[in-house]
Amino acid sequence: MSGSPPGWLPCDRGTRGLWSSWTVTQWPWGVVMERGDVTADVVVVGAGYSGLSAARSLVDAGLDVVVVEARDRVGGRVHTVTTPTGAVVDHGGQWLGPGQEHLASLAAEIGVETFPTWTEGSNIELRAGERYEFTGLVPTSDPGAAADAIAALLDLDLAATAVDPAEPWTHPDADDLDRTTLASWVEQNVEHPVARDMVTTAVLGVFGVQPAELSLLYVLAYAHGGGSLSALVRTTGGAQERRFVGGAQQMAVALAEGLGTRVVLDAPVSAVGWGLAGVTVTALRRVGGADPVPFRVVANRAVVAMPPAAQARIAFDPPLPPARAQLIQRVPMGSVTKFHAVYERPFWREAGLSGQVLADAGAARIVFDDSPPDASHGVLVGFIAGGDDRRLFPAGPEGRREAVLGDLAAAFGPEAGRPSEFVDLPWAAEPYTGGAPVACLGTGVLTGFGPALRRPVGPIHWAGTEVAEAWSGYIDGAISSGKAAAADVLASIGGEVGGGAATHEPGGRSRGDQ
Amino acid sequence: MATSEEIVEAYGEWQVRCNANPRLAKMLRGWDRRVHLVTSDSGLTFTIAVSGSVLADIVPGSEGVPDVVVTASSEDFADMFWGDLNPSEKYVSGDIVLAGSSEDVMRLDAMSMVAFLDR
Repeated sequence: MSGSPPGWLPCDRGTRGLWSSWTVTQWPWGVVMERGDVTADVVVVGAGYSGLSAARSLVDAGLDVVVVEARDRVGGRVHTVTTPTGAVVDHGGQWLGPGQEHLASLAAEIGVETFPTWTEGSNIELRAGERYEFTGLVPTSDPGAAADAIAALLDLDLAATAVDPAEPWTHPDADDLDRTTLASWVEQNVEHPVARDMVTTAVLGVFGVQPAELSLLYVLAYAHGGGSLSALVRTTGGAQERRFVGGAQQMAVALAEGLGTRVVLDAPVSAVGWGLAGVTVTALRRVGGADPVPFRVVANRAVVAMPPAAQARIAFDPPLPPARAQLIQRVPMGSVTKFHAVYERPFWREAGLSGQVLADAGAARIVFDDSPPDASHGVLVGFIAGGDDRRLFPAGPEGRREAVLGDLAAAFGPEAGRPSEFVDLPWAAEPYTGGAPVACLGTGVLTGFGPALRRPVGPIHWAGTEVAEAWSGYIDGAISSGKAAAADVLASIGGEVGGGAATHEPGGRSRGDQ
Repeated sequence: MATSEEIVEAYGEWQVRCNANPRLAKMLRGWDRRVHLVTSDSGLTFTIAVSGSVLADIVPGSEGVPDVVVTASSEDFADMFWGDLNPSEKYVSGDIVLAGSSEDVMRLDAMSMVAFLDR
């Protein structure tokens, strides 16, 4: 690398590897290297947890890697910010649950501490305009409805145990399960209307779409990947059990720091050319407000680590095979706005409340206590999800704030309507994810296109939480998908590493052949 | 601390309620299991069999090989069977510990909660 001619790096945060880092002896067919092109063994598209984890595994295995990221930051759907008043809030993924070993071990390795989500005290149920308090998982103001909801959750959890999250389409009743929406299952299996609302609220919180938009097969596979649907909705004992001191993005930042100049920010990928032997990724870099500058990485393999729907914006050349091309038209992202209301202190705790809310209507239907571990100030976090989010698309920041604060005041009293600060992020407006928390598969997608979700296309491998077999939709799934993609890449180039050249044919074409 | 007699008496009430509950009967369909109860404070053990959606009488002592083992204080067992305690809450807080396959644990957690709600 020290031998790279000065001025050849097309950007200030270019990559370390130019010609001298080229350890792969076989060139991508038909690629004519141009001045400014960067070469690598593997190019990773996307610097979220999946892309960074893939890159780290590949670098650890001795390969040259370049990570190309559209945003001006790493972390993808995990984004921690410090607000003007000093509150640390996670706009995206933030929790750690039991069984999420990839995330837990990464945090431990980097030295990020965790603490339990605050759950002491009573939860609040808002139903038909009335306010009730309850403890446990399910609101109990209507015991018959609660019993119905628990029975329904158990039915779904038991059904989920029979669905293999890696290959849901192999279930003997896959066709039936995949032509049933969760909404029609609820209509047929849950009698009590209040229990139906509870299931709907839980689904909104998990997926960010309405039950009518979800294939039952997909819901069962997703639930099994995280243990069970009831585990996904729990705080203690479930997916919202613990939080990270200082926020959930730190581990991504640490991974990126470890990768150093291999990570190229502000570089939205516009085109991916691919052939039997390699891949050329073209990004348009925007630096300092100047016109976008094309930035090319020529590599042996690519790991595309971004939401499948967002891949539709990339011009693949040649086009993706039909199954992959149509799959990525059928993987819409959930509609979620995540909001934080910051207060001088977590006053609800003084009233014996946990800060958790479940509501059958409104903007703030799912709320948790998100105060820092020392409770130096109070924070409520919640989700505007699915149809509620869409209703508020035209409302703008002020409209959302008003709607949410009205709901919080109904739950916690007028004090909750007067936060010192209110921040939110409508993920539907985020250009590079287009929604959150995850792709939500409707009927017929898994049985029609499922195998295309993970199957590599030529030199292109896929990562991202949607591709994960366990904890899809969660940070943990993103990490494991990245590691899995890296392992697949390594296997595809011979399974051995260390200088790269050792695994490739001696006497292959070299740079001079171009 | 609750005595063995108190736990047996409380269970008797709970058993009658559960066996009369059609929702529970549906939830227990096909779930024939042996459950051991162990009191963490007094070392008492009990055995409950579930068969054909029916809860059998409680038997003092550990009989046979259990599918699920429930460990809790004697007081919590008695309170749960009397319907005075939210079992799911105690389970989440770790005061009641369920050991068994995840499916069996899931089912026992749900059915004890439904029994509590439908009391």
